[in-house]
Amino acid sequence: MTDTKRFVLVGAGGIGTWLAAGLVRLLEWKYPGSALIIVDGDNYEPKNKERQDFTKIGNKAVVKAHELTPQFTNTMIIPIPKWVVADDFSGVTDEDSPKITASQLITEGDIVFAVVDNFAARKIIFDAASKLQNIDVFTGGNDDELFGSIYHYQKRDGIEVTEHPVNFHPEYDNPPDKNPGELSCQERSEIEGGTQLLATNMAVASFILGRVHKTIVHNQNPEETEIYFDLGLGKSEPYDRRVTTVNEYITV
Amino acid sequence: MESNMNNAASQPATGMANVRFGVYNQPSNIGGKSVKDAREQFSKLWGIPNDAVAYKGKDKLDENYVIQPGDNVEFHRRAGEKG
Repeated sequence: MTDTKRFVLVGAGGIGTWLAAGLVRLLEWKYPGSALIIVDGDNYEPKNKERQDFTKIGNKAVVKAHELTPQFTNTMIIPIPKWVVADDFSGVTDEDSPKITASQLITEGDIVFAVVDNFAARKIIFDAASKLQNIDVFTGGNDDELFGSIYHYQKRDGIEVTEHPVNFHPEYDNPPDKNPGELSCQERSEIEGGTQLLATNMAVASFILGRVHKTIVHNQNPEETEIYFDLGLGKSEPYDRRVTTVNEYITV
Repeated sequence: MESNMNNAASQPATGMANVRFGVYNQPSNIGGKSVKDAREQFSKLWGIPNDAVAYKGKDKLDENYVIQPGDNVEFHRRAGEKG
């Protein structure tokens, strides 16, 4: 019997478009019959072309799914053109735009990719994931210019294999930004994208794909839980955030 | 688990400890120095921002914490936000 997976890609923008290209190929050839779920409430605009890979203007999840479906017939590609919000809809000021709660979206055994552009949405996704027994969440992002980082959160049989990122990153506890899914269209249009670079977006996607290859395809331990990189310096640095390692370290 | 570690009153012991920030990772003779001293020493080299929080494992370190030989002190920068 073929092993199938359910990949949930939240965010089909600067990182997500490149990551989608890798994930769908992985599913198509390693896990035929699997599902790639693409979630995004935002639309592609001509100005996004500088860093994002798409062929039509429209909702990001829908456009990306329509592009990939004819190319990859052994993978079910499902668009969800909605914003991800908290289970209690906390902070939501706009009732009109389509929304899905993180708990409705993520289920047991999912492999989730949170490549959004704010910590508020990441927190919502991690909060929902941490309530499940078996889950993998890969997240990644970049700042301006050439710096970026990724993080892999893993639970097996109800036990955390790697630490929740909130233990090392206060920004996951008290996000300094807003989840676009909670904002009105006007407020969303006023969010600055910063000066991101294509190379950094693609590097984040590549580092995540590398971790998937090691920890999912080859089922090896997620020792390199968090990785920082700086393309300008040509350096990367892995951090071991496995629960056992961190606890052993503290008692030394 | 989260705690603010402050051992300023304990006996300082000198020796090597490890300092990390982003892509940087360097053993250094900072045992016996405070977190504040280490921050000042490495901030110019590595660009550690003032709001970067010092950690030992999962424990947040007070600026007056005296680094012990063998400690692994990480200055955590905010993770990449945009995507």
